[in-house]
Amino acid sequence: MTAYILNLLVLISVYAILSTTLNFIIGYAGIFSLAHAVFFGIGGYTAALVAMHVTPEFFVAVPVAMAAAAVTSLLLALPALRVRGEYFVAASLGLQVLAVTLFSEWKSFTGGIGGVIGIPAVELFGYPVYKPWQFLLMSLICLTIIIVIIRTLVHTSFGRSLKAIRDSESAALASGKNITVIKTLSVVLSSALAAVAGALYAFYMSFINVQSFMLDTSVLVMAMVIIGGTATVSGPLLGAALLMLLPSALTYLSFLPQTEIGSIQQIVYGMAMVLLMIFRPGGIVSSHPGGSK
Amino acid sequence: MSEQLMTAQETEKPASGSGFTGSTDAQDVLLEIRNLSKNFGGLQAINDVSLNLRAGIITTLVGPNGAGKTTLFNMITGHIPPSEGDVRWQGESVIGKAPWKIARAGIARTFQDLRLFTHMTVEENVLTMMESGSWLWQPGGKSRKAKRLDKVSQILEKTGLTDKRHTRALDLAYAERKFLSLARIMATDSRLWLLDEPASGLDPNSYNLFLQLLREEVKEGITVCIIEHNLDIVVNISDRIAFLDQGKLLADGEPQTILNDPALAAIYFGER
Amino acid sequence: MLFLQLLANGLQVGAIYALTAAGFSLIFGSTKIFHFAHGATFAIAAYLFHFALAGLGLHWTFAVAVSATSAVVFGVLLDRFMYAPIQRHEGSFFTVFVASFGIGIVVQNLLGSVFGRGFMSVATPLSNSVEVMPGLYLSPLNGLAIVSAIICFVALHFFLTHTFVGKGLRALSENPELVRTFGLSPRRLSTYAFALGSLLVVPGAIFTAAGTGINPAVGHHVMLISLAATIVGGIGSLRGAACAGLLIGVAENLAMWKLGTQWSEAITFAILFFFIIFKPSGFFGRATVS
Ligand SMILES: Nc1ncnc2c1ncn2[C@@H]1O[C@H](COP(=O)(O)OP(=O)(O)OP(=O)(O)O)[C@@H](O)[C@H]1O
Ligand SMILES: [Mg+2]
Repeated sequence: MTAYILNLLVLISVYAILSTTLNFIIGYAGIFSLAHAVFFGIGGYTAALVAMHVTPEFFVAVPVAMAAAAVTSLLLALPALRVRGEYFVAASLGLQVLAVTLFSEWKSFTGGIGGVIGIPAVELFGYPVYKPWQFLLMSLICLTIIIVIIRTLVHTSFGRSLKAIRDSESAALASGKNITVIKTLSVVLSSALAAVAGALYAFYMSFINVQSFMLDTSVLVMAMVIIGGTATVSGPLLGAALLMLLPSALTYLSFLPQTEIGSIQQIVYGMAMVLLMIFRPGGIVSSHPGGSK
Repeated sequence: MSEQLMTAQETEKPASGSGFTGSTDAQDVLLEIRNLSKNFGGLQAINDVSLNLRAGIITTLVGPNGAGKTTLFNMITGHIPPSEGDVRWQGESVIGKAPWKIARAGIARTFQDLRLFTHMTVEENVLTMMESGSWLWQPGGKSRKAKRLDKVSQILEKTGLTDKRHTRALDLAYAERKFLSLARIMATDSRLWLLDEPASGLDPNSYNLFLQLLREEVKEGITVCIIEHNLDIVVNISDRIAFLDQGKLLADGEPQTILNDPALAAIYFGER
Repeated sequence: MLFLQLLANGLQVGAIYALTAAGFSLIFGSTKIFHFAHGATFAIAAYLFHFALAGLGLHWTFAVAVSATSAVVFGVLLDRFMYAPIQRHEGSFFTVFVASFGIGIVVQNLLGSVFGRGFMSVATPLSNSVEVMPGLYLSPLNGLAIVSAIICFVALHFFLTHTFVGKGLRALSENPELVRTFGLSPRRLSTYAFALGSLLVVPGAIFTAAGTGINPAVGHHVMLISLAATIVGGIGSLRGAACAGLLIGVAENLAMWKLGTQWSEAITFAILFFFIIFKPSGFFGRATVS
């Protein structure tokens, strides 16, 4: 039982990192990306590769993973600078689909459909971390650091510039904001931090494949942000917890046919997205019900 | 033109009364628009306009709807590239420069539809205008930040928004929004203000506050170009009037000359 | 011969994409609603056609009627009870998109739970392929799909240019204010747009159900492709959506020939990605993108 709960908590913190970092660009920069799982994946594959062929040291694998995601995220920054709204969503969707194909075909990097097997336990200054509670502690610390980074950023001048661009790009330009730099920086930052989640996930599972980095994951993370509440700190955390607990909660409802649990979970969160958008578009944690971006 | 030359020497300081009858040629030209044109597909929105904005005075841009006034502003600030012509700011061309560079060079503007940062508070709206040079953080630390916040307080005081400091722009009343859009550019330290119909729809009280604010700022050395439809207001504030119609600059001169021209009045009131 | 075979398949698939994309484009152009659940409409139409024909054993004309009715009803209901309330209080692009995406997830999983998650297809006499040339197999369905797509486009064009409602829809996409001053209600027109746009998925849904087969994710796949086609063709341009749909169908199949199946979707989205970056207005799009 404790093993089960620990496992759930680790996964919640990994997804909370994803939703927090996605919220940074959706909620504050107005960049509605459907490609977040791509950077989750790049983080995971890179960390796995480094761990297997170089060293399983956390402070080597994770920075390399972050750097890889940061560089590739320029592919997402490019359309973010050129287009808005539906065009950008479509572009990010395109990137996501392309990435999935590459993940399944680029065998030397990702192991193809089969994935990467036998990722060694991560080490902190040479000490392997493999007990579930140790791992939970490590992911919670990562999550906390990331929350602090993002919280600090959105309260600085950088955060204000982001929000200004989100609310009116032309007015932000007229006030002297270098939109290119600010937007690119936000995308790079969000993606690099998402890679931390990927690295943690790879180390925790010791096996990863493309299945975890598909459009479904991007949508799930987006749903966490939206359902929890955009542009808030606690919203994405709450969203991650709720959506990760949902399947286990449903397993306890014994009258539900067990084979349908997956479907029912998806139906529930799909419905939640619809109803929230109609009645409370700011999400559950919304300081201003009825009118958030 | 010769008429203005004669009056130029007599009035050096803005006089009280009907307007700020500042002088003209004696002062230097801050912004120079040369043979500017803009085509939107087939539509000639601006047609070979040349106009000088002189330092320290209020130039009013008048003209019927669709005359191209906003388009002219958009080209000055770099939001829209011109089809032809040049805009020179303090002697240097700004054509092809990014809007944010032009803004940092000292040209601030408001928008006809305001474009406030709707989901940010009044304070944040103003504060962020002072932080355009910031990267991931604003250099200068706590003391500079305190100074900026002080300046925000002053600006909010002047614009009557002190009580609304922590209100989101979205939740402001109409007049308050207009003042916030002014407060935003007051924070920028720009030398030239381009105001796109800032007084439209203001109640008398707000209007008086606006006028007082404008006079103070001009006295401080701000140069203003303002788009305005209401002729009473135009008479009240203009040092100089430029008349635009269908993209063409029909006249540019002293308020009396322009306002007493029957041909322009006919166009303005739509009796073509 | 493989080339010809894939070209023929590509044309059929392309015709289906073109119709679905045209429906999406019509709805988006006139109402500015990013109707991602258009794919769900497709899936519903396909499954109910299958169910009516194979499950209930109805005559194919009834099955077509069932499919068409369900598509139109679903589209109109969404417009009335989901999009209208959202637009009333805010209607930012993303709010609409999230709700639409949500309903797509719900429909996909409901269909999976009710009809099963596997591949299904109904065999009709028309599905049987004959070898017309050595190595080139064609079924009457191939030709029928293309012919009905052409008929639909001609009918759609006539409707938009010659009927009052059609003209209203076109006006709505260009100038909503104008529509109001002409005494047409944008809300009413929106209903027509959804009815018509949803109807346009029906031929595609039927031919897919009777041809290559369907699974619950079919709507999602078709929607992604239609979205790509709509943007590559130029948002708001029916002609563009149709051409791009056809192009993508053919490109997808030819990609299979050279690169293998797994690359077909990637090719489509690579095209989309480059269009968005270098020519966001698409083939026939209006000049500016804000
Ligand atoms: N981005 C654009 N694309 C196409 N046409 C435009 C664009 N911006 C302005 N126009 C057209 O250019 C003409 C001039 O517009 P502009 O907004 O400059 O007028 P204005 O003088 O500011 O009018 P108003 O008093 O109504 O604000 C109008 O016919 C307008 O439709
Ligand atoms: Mg204007």
